[in-house]
Amino acid sequence: MTDIDKPADPHRTRNNIFIIAGTVVVIATYLYLILAQPAVVDENFNLNGTGAIIPLAGYVIGALLIAVGAINRLPTTTLVLVPVAILINIVVGQITASLGLPLYLDSIGTILVGVVAGPAAGAVTGGLSNVIWGLTLSPLALPFAIVAIVIGALAGWAARIGVFRTYWAPPIAGIVTGIIAALASSPISAFIFGGATGGGTGAIVQAFQAFGNSLLASTTLQGLLSDPLDKLITFTIVMLILLALPSRFKQRFPFVRQYNVLPGMKKKASTPAA
Amino acid sequence: MSTLYLDRPSPIHRLNPITKLIGVLAIILLVFALPYWWAPLAILVLVVVPAALLARVGGRLLLVGGAILVPLLLVVAIGQGFFNTRGETILFSIGSFDFALEGVLFAAAVGGRTAVLVTAAMLLLLTTHPGKLLSALSQNGMPPKMAYVISSTLQMLPAFRTRADSIILAQRSRGLKTRGNPIRRFAVLIPLLSPLILGVFVDVDERSTAMEARAFASTGPRTALEIVKDPVGEKVARWVVMLLAVGALVVSFMGLYPEMSWPL
Repeated sequence: MTDIDKPADPHRTRNNIFIIAGTVVVIATYLYLILAQPAVVDENFNLNGTGAIIPLAGYVIGALLIAVGAINRLPTTTLVLVPVAILINIVVGQITASLGLPLYLDSIGTILVGVVAGPAAGAVTGGLSNVIWGLTLSPLALPFAIVAIVIGALAGWAARIGVFRTYWAPPIAGIVTGIIAALASSPISAFIFGGATGGGTGAIVQAFQAFGNSLLASTTLQGLLSDPLDKLITFTIVMLILLALPSRFKQRFPFVRQYNVLPGMKKKASTPAA
Repeated sequence: MSTLYLDRPSPIHRLNPITKLIGVLAIILLVFALPYWWAPLAILVLVVVPAALLARVGGRLLLVGGAILVPLLLVVAIGQGFFNTRGETILFSIGSFDFALEGVLFAAAVGGRTAVLVTAAMLLLLTTHPGKLLSALSQNGMPPKMAYVISSTLQMLPAFRTRADSIILAQRSRGLKTRGNPIRRFAVLIPLLSPLILGVFVDVDERSTAMEARAFASTGPRTALEIVKDPVGEKVARWVVMLLAVGALVVSFMGLYPEMSWPL
């Protein structure tokens, strides 16, 4: 192992505190929204200010804390991968949209990095993808950064428990990730944006509301309609890409060597990274 | 860089990026603190539009903001107008569907907030060069690694798009059909993705070695090439604006705003 593989992290405790604090803030916000379900607009068409500022502030601050804590833990070999992965997210997402497919496919890079470099790297790639998306295309992407962080971290954990060693498990992990992503994002669309997040998805939310569902139920149903299928396909594509990557490239990552995460690798728990 | 930035000589462009960021945050806090349905509209007309005109980016803001907001607001207004459960005041009917005023008010309330969120953030992006924004943020405690990821992504984006386009053209010239039914179009994705993704991973290796040789992972204090000016007046203004916004929020949390029923 070369020197640049070593996670040069003199502030390990501080970074972990950032990540833990961010996670606590996000979970507290989520529980508040699910349990209290603040009304978006009251009977006099007055806006419920506190009900919307709590999710906005909670999710953005939480995502920021997690991203800052996680990025400082990454070694340079992993960090240079992040911009490339973000570009893959954005460009493939745009190609998918231009082909007119009813999918997003905007997290291939995030999941790829999560698998080869671990949950922290996946989380950073996801979070910063939404920052770049917000800076270049639409600021509406920013409050959803936490969802992308969760997706990247889940991909890393899935790889660690050996999902990508097999050929049948990645699609299942994709469906599970999609369900969690839908549950994580639906309170954001409901309580911050009142269901108004985009033309196509917005129309589906309106349709569910027309059948008498609550706003939160409608955004959740909309998410469950699109996210699991999207992530199933994304995880499958990532598995195919991993099969095609040269093995010299794959062996560069300490995470890959430590947990033997890739297709065809055997579980060897006793081999240390060094 | 393929960002929204427009280079114009204006006082707003010359402000410290942190001041503008705090201004945007204050506008967003205010719009969420004030409980009235017309508050977002008022802030849009009284704050965002004059600032955009002062910065001479009004046309572009209308164009880019409209492209995001118009479809979104239309869908919500139509959906809520027809299907909001509180609909009583019927404006018109199509068949057995009634279009009610209450739904439009609901749409105005939630859509107005989203509109302010988008336009205020866009105003910052239109008037601030991303490089200057990142320099200012790193000088105020943003991790240098984060600044690296964001700025190098923004710099590589146009080249990467060109690469993707040329791969699509190359595959088409070999007879690949990018039209047809969804399954067929999906099958097209794979021959497009593999050269794109495998191609960009190749040079990642040398880049990390080159950066490491230039002390990228050094944990010592960093110096800045471009020092972003931060006059005392702006520092004071930032605190005042932030205190006002937080004050408005505290009043909102305590539920002290007077109740108003429609039409006010």
